[in-house]
Amino acid sequence: MSLVRRLGTAAALAAALAVAAVGCGGGGEEGGTIIRGTTDQPVSYDPAGAYDLPSYDVIYNVYQNLLTIPPGDNKPVPEAAESCDFTNPTTYECTMKDGLKFSDGDDLTAEDVKFSFDRNVEIADPNGASSLLANMKSVDAPDDKTVVFHLKKPDATWPFVLTVASFAIVDSTDFPKDKLQPSDEVIGSGRYTVASYKPGQQTVLEKNTSYTGSDPAENDRAIVQYYDKPSALKLDVENGEVDIAYRSLSPTDIESLRDADGVSVVEGNGTEIRYLVFNLKLQEGTSDAQKLAIRQAVAQTVDRAAIAKNVYDGTVDPLYSMVPQGLQFATKAFADKYGESPDVNAAKKTLADAGVKTPVPLEIWWTPSHYGPASGDEYAEIKTQLDDSGLFTVTLKSTEWTQYSEAAFTNKYPQYQLGWFPDYPDANDYTAPFYAKDSFLNISYDNPEMNRLLEQEAATSNESKRAALFKKIQDIGAEDVPTVPIWQGKQVAAVRDGVNGVEDTFDPSFIFRYWLITKD
Amino acid sequence: MSRHGSLRTYVLTRLALAIPTVLILLTMVFLLMRVAPGNPIQAALGGHVSQEEIERRSAAAGYDKPIIDQYVEYLGDVFTGNLGTTLTDHRTVVSIVVENGSATLELTIAAILVALVVGLSIGILAGRFRDTPIDLAGRLFGIVVYAAPVFFVGFLLQLLFGSTLHWLPTSGRVGPVTEFELDTTTHLYLIDSLISGNWSAFWDTVTHLILPAVTLGLLVSGVLIRLVRVNLMQTMRGDYVEAARARGIRERRVVMEHAFRNALIPVVTVAGLQFAILLGGAILTEQTFNWPGIGSELVRYLNERDYIAVQGIITVFALAVVVVSLLIDLVNAFIDPRVRY
Repeated sequence: MSLVRRLGTAAALAAALAVAAVGCGGGGEEGGTIIRGTTDQPVSYDPAGAYDLPSYDVIYNVYQNLLTIPPGDNKPVPEAAESCDFTNPTTYECTMKDGLKFSDGDDLTAEDVKFSFDRNVEIADPNGASSLLANMKSVDAPDDKTVVFHLKKPDATWPFVLTVASFAIVDSTDFPKDKLQPSDEVIGSGRYTVASYKPGQQTVLEKNTSYTGSDPAENDRAIVQYYDKPSALKLDVENGEVDIAYRSLSPTDIESLRDADGVSVVEGNGTEIRYLVFNLKLQEGTSDAQKLAIRQAVAQTVDRAAIAKNVYDGTVDPLYSMVPQGLQFATKAFADKYGESPDVNAAKKTLADAGVKTPVPLEIWWTPSHYGPASGDEYAEIKTQLDDSGLFTVTLKSTEWTQYSEAAFTNKYPQYQLGWFPDYPDANDYTAPFYAKDSFLNISYDNPEMNRLLEQEAATSNESKRAALFKKIQDIGAEDVPTVPIWQGKQVAAVRDGVNGVEDTFDPSFIFRYWLITKD
Repeated sequence: MSRHGSLRTYVLTRLALAIPTVLILLTMVFLLMRVAPGNPIQAALGGHVSQEEIERRSAAAGYDKPIIDQYVEYLGDVFTGNLGTTLTDHRTVVSIVVENGSATLELTIAAILVALVVGLSIGILAGRFRDTPIDLAGRLFGIVVYAAPVFFVGFLLQLLFGSTLHWLPTSGRVGPVTEFELDTTTHLYLIDSLISGNWSAFWDTVTHLILPAVTLGLLVSGVLIRLVRVNLMQTMRGDYVEAARARGIRERRVVMEHAFRNALIPVVTVAGLQFAILLGGAILTEQTFNWPGIGSELVRYLNERDYIAVQGIITVFALAVVVVSLLIDLVNAFIDPRVRY
């Protein structure tokens, strides 16, 4: 046989082997196993070491909290607790349910709750959320069924804080009190156990047969498969390797998947927001009045609907308040004050009345490595809108996230992009962090009336009082414009046909409830 | 000097040179990671907690210690084999090297095999049928696969064989369920599935390996095609080849058993070096195919400023490259007595 023929035969044999291999393998998904693909990577499944959405995704399914946000709702209800209430403005008392058990059979008592909070504070993990417990003076467990939180000052948001995944209840007989438990050895009392965790590859959750709570899991197993690139995730949901692709597909990928065979795109209300920040010390303007006029003029000129349509293909909604729609007490303060559509003439008048020469030079920073692949397009669109008004000339600058996040909060950027997802679904979490005098934004914004209103709303649990207070807070925010809300994201997932229940878990709490999902 | 004495000197010299090489590389990595702005806490929590809180946590975690203290601590850990635990997700660097390094090793071996099959066969044909359409086609193929961006080739293969024909999976090492159910003793899934007699897992691994291995292998084959062709043409001009022809040996035997074997020596060197480079993680291929290799992990930890992870992984890279380079040089020195000190 000639050399050429031998080589050709070898190649043909190799190809035949490859084709024979096709169809013999593959995912092998069983009935009762849900596979979700995501580009989000978790940090820790020990609640004390977690303050990120990917870790929360699993923690909410493996543990119980004292309180939780039920599907479709935005207010806390008891979960491991039978009932909870303030006995006085700084004392919050919970009574535990009977018969609670961890997945290893240990009883769950008030002592485990106290242990969970105490260790969270003691460990104070750099990646954890112990800073949210700053108002907790101490926690007691006078008996097996009673937990008492002593707060430093009144805090109406405390029930919401108890719903945060970082404060899930851990087993005091298994978790160390002074360091984190490895993610593949965690034990909770929730609907699932962590059967396997391979960092960067997958987490496997299996139904907890010891679960004693309501709404047990409707599937036997949930696999969370991790991806580096959204494009790989998109291909895999198209090919059926995963059942659900959720976080984070690009708008282009989502648009393409709407026409894909065997795939549906489901949406739900989301509470992730994006906004533009002004550093009041660094921004353009020779006086406070001029600076205010510039901020207001930007708010009047930005076309949020165009951004939502042109950049995000409708996967986000225009946002007219820092408090997103879907949360209690949300208003549309920016729309009320400036209108939903841009008004260049009004912006021109605002600037003229303050004696601001136009076009106003604006340096706006954004980052390509933290807020999704469409950030560049978003800020290019904003630049176009502002430049085309004739009132501004925008210079866009960008840098990668770690450098950006340090520079933004240390008085280096005059205007910059930021995003926010909630610690808990309450309007307080969308106002105090941005508008308070000691805001993490560090933008020199200090309005005494705003500070007073924020203190008042945090101190009262009376809903009608809070409603009135939050309306004023949002109105002042729209008047002072230290930040310009741009959009709130919808929760969007691509789901294979025959997979049900994904949209039922989409609500302002951002809890991904694997237990609601079934597969035909 | 005797052959063996000379070889011993060569080996010892190369080993001695490896130490400063690795030390320089480790120092560069350490400094670059410290000079880059930010730290893991900044990367994780920036934009969600105050800068004051970030600085407080950073100080508590020891990120503000004097650079020289951190450097001495770092070198001490390296030389005692303590590569540390990552700052961001609390994994030991050793586990990253074992688990993700095995993924890269498996891909690299498969890619080198593809490269050798494609590169050698086309290179031999091009060299044997010099200046013919076969030679032209071979050279053109080599240029195209070498010049085409690897991720682009990967995307094309995914679109064709994955999305359009639905013949092969487009990402991962195995399917999600197989990933969970497979007993991983060696973390080399082909071997693990054979050990456990799990034929379903074996085929699943093979099908997942094909596209990334072909993508990466084609890139490397582009190098080998030209090298084999040129070397074969050279060796075929040798006197011993003429002598073989004169003795009436058939042309096929002359090419494969006389010319080609001598042309193989530099090819072994290059293939070995390519293997060492790919062990560092073929990042673009890994990311295109969501292959959980060590290159992808390195990029992730770089973005998260996890300098413990980055330092540990690059330490292992450096040692792997040095060892493989040394082995190749030793093989060459053993084969070719002209290579000596």
